[in-house]
Order: sequence, then structure tokens, then C-alpha cells
Amino acid sequence: MSEAFATASIILQDLSKHFGSVKAVDGVSLEVEAGTLVCLLGPSGCGKTTTLRMIGGFEEPTAGRILIGGDDVTNLPPYARPTAMVFQNYALFPHMSVYDNVAYGLRARRVPKSEIQEQVRMAIALMELEGQEKKSPPQLSGGQQQRVALARALVIHPKVLLFDEPLSNLDAKLRVRMRSEIRAVQRRLGITSVYVTHDQEEAFSIADRVALMNNGKLVQLGAPRELYSEPADRFVADFVGLSNIVPVEVVESDAGGATVRVFGQTIRSRRPPREPDGPVAIVLRPEALRIEKASESGVPVRVLTLAFTGPLARYTVAVDDGAQLTVDLPNPDPDHFFAEGTLASLQLPDQVPALLG
Amino acid sequence: MVSNSLPFYRRWSASQRQRIAFIVLIVIEILLLAFIGTRLIQVQAVEDYREVVGDQETIYFRNEIVGDPVLFAMVLLGMALPLVSGRLRHEMVLLVAVQAAIVGLTMFVLWPLMQVFIEGFKTEYGTESFSLVQFEKLFQPMVIRATRNTMIIGVISAFLSALVGTLVAYTLTLTDVPWKRWLRNLVVLPLVSPPFAVSFAIILLFGRRGVITYDLLGISKYNVYGPHGIVFVQLISSIPLVVLIVSAVFASMSRDLEEAAEDLGGRPLYVLRTVTFPLVTPAILTAALLSFIGSISDFGNPMLIGGGYQMLATQAYIQMVEIYDLQLGAALAMLLIIPSLLAFMLQHRITSRRSYVTVTGGARTGHIRRLPGWIKWPLFSLCVFLALFNVVLYGSIFVGAAVKTWGYDYTLTLRNVRGLLTSLPMLKNSLIVAVSAGLLGGLVSILLAWLLTRQKFPGRGALDFSATVMQAIPGTVVGIGYIIAYNAAPYFWTGTFFIIIIAYVFRRLPVGLRTGIAAQKQIDPSLEEASLDLGASRFYTFRRVTFPLLSRAFFAGVIYIFIRSMTDLSAAIFLNSGRTQLFSVRMFTVMKLSTASEAAAFAALLIVIILFALGLLGKVTGKSFVDLFRI
Repeated sequence: MSEAFATASIILQDLSKHFGSVKAVDGVSLEVEAGTLVCLLGPSGCGKTTTLRMIGGFEEPTAGRILIGGDDVTNLPPYARPTAMVFQNYALFPHMSVYDNVAYGLRARRVPKSEIQEQVRMAIALMELEGQEKKSPPQLSGGQQQRVALARALVIHPKVLLFDEPLSNLDAKLRVRMRSEIRAVQRRLGITSVYVTHDQEEAFSIADRVALMNNGKLVQLGAPRELYSEPADRFVADFVGLSNIVPVEVVESDAGGATVRVFGQTIRSRRPPREPDGPVAIVLRPEALRIEKASESGVPVRVLTLAFTGPLARYTVAVDDGAQLTVDLPNPDPDHFFAEGTLASLQLPDQVPALLG
Repeated sequence: MVSNSLPFYRRWSASQRQRIAFIVLIVIEILLLAFIGTRLIQVQAVEDYREVVGDQETIYFRNEIVGDPVLFAMVLLGMALPLVSGRLRHEMVLLVAVQAAIVGLTMFVLWPLMQVFIEGFKTEYGTESFSLVQFEKLFQPMVIRATRNTMIIGVISAFLSALVGTLVAYTLTLTDVPWKRWLRNLVVLPLVSPPFAVSFAIILLFGRRGVITYDLLGISKYNVYGPHGIVFVQLISSIPLVVLIVSAVFASMSRDLEEAAEDLGGRPLYVLRTVTFPLVTPAILTAALLSFIGSISDFGNPMLIGGGYQMLATQAYIQMVEIYDLQLGAALAMLLIIPSLLAFMLQHRITSRRSYVTVTGGARTGHIRRLPGWIKWPLFSLCVFLALFNVVLYGSIFVGAAVKTWGYDYTLTLRNVRGLLTSLPMLKNSLIVAVSAGLLGGLVSILLAWLLTRQKFPGRGALDFSATVMQAIPGTVVGIGYIIAYNAAPYFWTGTFFIIIIAYVFRRLPVGLRTGIAAQKQIDPSLEEASLDLGASRFYTFRRVTFPLLSRAFFAGVIYIFIRSMTDLSAAIFLNSGRTQLFSVRMFTVMKLSTASEAAAFAALLIVIILFALGLLGKVTGKSFVDLFRI
């Protein structure tokens, strides 16, 4: 079980799925390199789960092709595909023991009995489930059920692992632990994986690359860092973190970057706007802003609200022209909060990675 | 060279293998259809005319097609239609399952029903010419009288059983009267007996030499035979159904809604009128419509207790079996289908509208209402009366079986039990039919429930309709339809076990299907998906995951169909023959022609068998018979 898996790349070509007049998935093209983990991220109803179910063979695409390891699997039923899915509710067979659940896929393939025993033992050891073999799924805790589901998927040596919001039924602490376990196993076995979630933090912490979807379309594909620093549009900027999006005036622009003007201050962007003729906006991350005691430097603002969450103090401030911004101050000192209604001075960053528009 | 050591088919890719298997399947299906085609459509030379030239007579023949080209075309269409769906083309197991379902329902539901309509328009049996001659016959006084009588009986029984049934259901679910469990089981007792056993028992009690009318009260003039007798019997038979349906709704009704209404200022009677009653109306209407269909299509009871009162089902039987006028029988059957279908569609509309009663975990249900004594005790007395009446009713059957001649000589004897020995071959026939129909029907229900809930394919709605429409078709009409469709060449199926079993399977499919669908909906679809995803085939998934989780529903379906097949009379009486005579048909004949005590022995034995089957059901699935008949 510890040896590397015979893994394969996944290629989606112009994949679409229409339910009547609703375009659940609309022309998605995506390549998942062998051995990597790609997260499908997006709000509910964006088509991420439908895309995953098409890869698994549970939904028939309306148009487009799916290739796994170069083979066209578009029209193959689920059982003929080299995929294994970890379901949102685990889908453990309630009438079978943990052992029988894990052995299921091997028995269905008529693997010799001695080999089944060996494989199941290894999978159970890998997921640290020793001693639970005889129990029935409802007797296990949520985290244990999750491990059984993963062991059951891994034991058949799939070329591709599919995860459908696997952690959504766990509590917050367990969720963080299980996601690092999943990532560790995935890395160790080097198995190509597609992971669906609506949780931006989960996606960023687990994925090699993130595919952000909205309204059935793939909006942006890239490493978490790229999505964060160079969002393709307002939707991405908004989805990957609470963002202040403010229209700017471009002062000058060349291949090496651009200078823009906002709230009377100038900010340098390391990349020029994609469409210099259209309206251009800037993303001011709450954590990149600071407020200080009212002074000459910075933008004069009025503090509207304060929310203290522990690690940070979140302020809403209003600029003279009516724009409202969110500012996060990390490691706040409770003795020096800005009271609601007071005047303060907003410090903008000197540089941003990119512009919107 | 590794690839050389592999068998040749291993060298194809998965999609190539799939394509080749598909082509092989289509070739097999075409061969199969060609074979069926040669059986269904045969060209026969028939004498056309003769010509006499001198002393030489020349006979001219013409070729004529015999058989059912229309049915063949429908089967062909049914096989071809699923090919439209890409999904089914890629999964042959599903394709074959859908094709089989369509062909089965076409042959054994739609075609026999169509035949009833087609035959009603024919001038004579075996001819191809159509006319409205039967419809002129439909205006003769006998038919008009039978139609009117049927509707009167149907409406009165439906109304009264809905009224009494609702009161009983309310009392036994929502009030604090004692002995509720016992009362409920006794009130619904008639569900488990053959329907016409009720008439028989009523005659034992209230007939010319009835134990109550003659022996107890000394009345010799009272005549139980006639429309009032039919209505009385239909009430006894229908009330249990109403009680079950309406109780289920009362029991699951959330008390919160009524409390909210009271909280907003509604007085008790106002709340009853504006909240409670509207919530249970759909269930009461459903129950009333089912009683209506049951009463107008019943055949055994009017024959026994009707005293010559003419109804459509009995007239259709007389026309077909005694006078051999197949066309008039078919035309009468049509008259019977129309109100049944209307009632069925009305009921479908009522129940398919958004269900008011939502079963939620948190809601407080089955709250006991404190009623003033002057309301509670009369309701309680009604329930006790019904329960005791059923005890006396069924008790009389067992006592009747143990005495020499009911009404004249009440000395105990085993003579009637010995009389049963002559009916052992019929009992064997009935058991063969009921067990086979139960097992086959249970399996078909589960498979069809799975197809209808889990799979999307073109024509699913039509399949659903064909599978459930039989619910509204009177047994008499089913019998007539099957005779017309499959009596003649090339089938000659009338009188075979095969056709009786098939008739029962498809007739009871709606209830089996409903049980199956309800159970299927309890199972998370991702369990089956997980199995397929792990590489298990459709068969393996069904055997190891779906079926084990559905086994209770399967056994419930088997026992239900078994019981209904053991007690059926209206379809059996058309379809069985001397060799395949069924116990229920024999029992009906004995009831008409022999002494009451002999007949009572038959009824008692049948009831014992059914109670045994119900005990088995309780052991296997933990369900009581009350659950089984709940709709």
C-alpha cells in the first residue's frame, strides 16, 4: 500500500451538463496532472459536484469528453472506470462490517481470498483502523467512518481519487486534522485527486491547484497563491477572501506595471491592467490595510463598526466619498481600539501584485 | 511479449469492449424479435371462394394474416425506444432491464386493456369488422339498470365507509379511549379474508335461517338479499381500508399547527374546521375513492347477497361466461373502466398535490385530545360495536364449519373438514399460483421500483403510469381483457397457470411497487454509487447492496401478493379451467350450490392459511398486517 500508485492524468475537454434548460456545467476544460490534487471550489450550485460526478461516471455529459490516462472514458459506466470516490456522507454499507466494506471492491473484482486479506490489512493499517474491523459503520465516530471510506477507496488501487466534500459532516477541529491526513496520504501514494469543496480555506490548504467555478463555468485555474494575488475578476477576488474592491484611475501603465490613483494616493501595481481601456479596479485586502491615529499622512476615515474576533480586530471604515472598507488589524491591543465614530487615518499599501479589469 | 499471452478480448480497450458487447446484444435481440415475429404473425391460407365449372370445383384461397401484428409492432417499439437514450446504450444491463419492463407492461397491462376496448367495437368474435352494434345494446334497459345500480352502490358505500372509517380512525388515534390496539386489529380484520366471505358470513347470521334473525330473534320474514345487503357488506369490507389510510394521517399530523391556530385566537370548532379537517381531507378523499373502485368492481359479494340485483361486474360475468357474448361483456367492462379510471385520476391528482403532512423528527405527533364524555363514549361504542361485529362474523364461519347443517342441526361434526379433502387439488393449484405470483411479483416490484426511483430514461413517466394503472382496473375487467387478448391462436393461454400467475403479478404490482419505492427512497443513492464506483457490476451491486437493504420490502410484497392471490375471485373465475381450478373459485361454487356448513369449512381453511402467512410476515420483517395494507 505504501508503494506509489499507477496514477494517471485527467483531462476534461469542453465538458457540459444540462438539466433541461439549466446549464449545470458549461464548457469546462481542465487538466489534472498525474499525481497532483486539484480542488474544485465554488459556491453551492456552481457545478463543481456535477463535474466530479461526471468524472466518476454518475452523470452522463451533455457534451465534451473525459480522458483518464489518455483513455476516453466518457461513455463508460462507473464500474469500468479507474476511479474511486469518497462520498460526502461516506456511503458506507450499513449491513456490512468495516472489514467487509473495505474488502468490497476487491471481492467485486474476484481477487483471490488470500490477496484480499493482505490488501485489506494494509489499507486498514494505513488508515490506522486496526481493531475496528468487526464493527459496523454506525458504531464508528465521524472521523473513523471517514477513514474507512478512504481505506475502501484506496484498497482497489484506483488511478484517480475523487472527493465529494468529504469533510462537511465533521466538526471544525476534526475537519482541519482530517484534511491534513488526506493530503499526507495523497502525497505519499502520489495519486491523482480531484477534491470538491465550497470552503476556500480548505481548498487552499490541501490543493496543488484550485479550479474556481461559478455558474457552471471554470473562472480561474491556478495555484492558491495565484488566485489570491492575481484574481481574474471581481468574483474570484471576492470568493477567495473578503476584499475591498475600489475603482481606480490609471496614471501610467507599461509592460513592467502600472501606477494608479485611489483616495488621493498613488499605488504601484507590479502588472499592468489586462484591459487598460476598460474600467480598472484595485483589490485592497483587509489584512493589507492599517489604520492609525488621525494624522496628515494616509486617507482620513471615520470608524463605523468594530468586531473583535480574538486574533484580529475587524473595522469597517468610511472614506469621505462614501466608500466603505474593511480593515483587519492582526494581534490587536484591546487597550488601544479605535472607538466607533472616531476619526482615523487609513494607510494603503505601496504596492499590489495586480489590478482587476 | 506480454500482450500475446493475454486473451484476445483483453487487448481491446474498455470502450472497444463495450461497443462490441453492445453490437452482440443488438444482434441477439434482433434474432429474438424475428423469432417472436414468426410466432405472432402467421400467414394462413383461407378459403376465399369456390367456382364450379362443369363438374369441376375450384377452390380459391387467399392469404390472410393471423395473430397480432399490432402487438408485435408495440413490442418492437418498446424494444427500440430505450435505444434513444445514450445512457442506456452505454449500459447494457440497464438497457435490457428497461426493455423487459416496457415489453412486460405492454403485453400484460396495456394490450389486454386495449383489447377490452377493441373487442367492444367488434361486431362478432373473431371478425375484423367494427361497428357500434354493441353500443346499441348498451342502451337496453338491463344495461342502463346495471350501470345505475353500480353507481348507486358505489357512491353510497364510499360515502358511508368514509364517514364511519374517519370517525373510527379519529377515535383510535387521537383520543384516550381504552383497548385501542385490540380494537384497531379487530376493526381491520376483514382485510385478511376473501372479500366474498363477508357476504357468506352475513348470510349465516342474517339469512333466512340466520342465527341472529331466525334463531335469536325469531324473524323469518327478513330478507337480507338485495341492494341493502350489498351496501352493508361493502361497508364492512371498505371501512378497514379507510381506517388505515386516515389513521396514518391523523397519527403523523403535527400538533403544533393546531396549537398555532388556537394561539392565534381560533376556538376549538373553528380550528377543527379551518386546520384539522383540511389537513385530513386528501386522505379521506383517497380512501373514499378506493372504496368506490372496490365496491363497483366487486363481483363475489353481489353474486352471493345481491339476490338478482344487477350490477355491471355481475352482468359482465353472466354475458361472458354463461351466455358467451364476449362483445357485450367487453362493452360492459368498458362501462366499468371509465368511472374507475376517472376515480383513479382524481385520486392521483389529490395525492400528487403537495402533501400537507410532513413527517419531521422534531414535530410532536399523535397528540391525545381530551374530548368531553358525550362525544368520546359514543365514538368508543361505535368502535367496540364494529370490533365485536367482526368477531361474531368470523366466529360464525368457524362455528359453521364445525356443525352438521347451519341453521338446522347444530351438532358438532368433522364431516365438513373431510369434505375439504376433495378440494385438495384446488388448494394445491392455488398455492402454486399464489406462491409463484408472490415471488415473481415481489421481484418485479423491487426491480421496477429501483428503475423508477434510481434511473432516468425516456418514457419513465409512461412506465410509471402503466405499472400503477392496474390499481384502478376491476379484477373482472382484467380477467376479460386477458381472455380476449390471449385466448386464441397463437397463444391458447387461458386456463394455464402461466396466465393466472402473470395476471396476479401485474394486478398487484401497484401495491408492491409502492412498498418498493418507499423502501428505495429510504436508501441513500450514494450507497449504490459507491458500489459501482468500487468496480462492482450492476448485478453485483444489486445482489450485495440494493437487495439486502430492500429485503424487508421484498418479503412484504411477496406476502401481500400471496394473500391477494389466494383470496382473489374476480380475475380467477375468468382465467382458470378445470385443470387449474383455484381454491377460491371452488369455494365460491360451494357457497352458491352446497350447504352453508360445507362452504364455511372452505372459508375457515383459507382464513387459517392467510393468518399463517401473516404470522410468517411478522417473523421475517417485524411488520404487522396493518402495515402491510397501509396505502
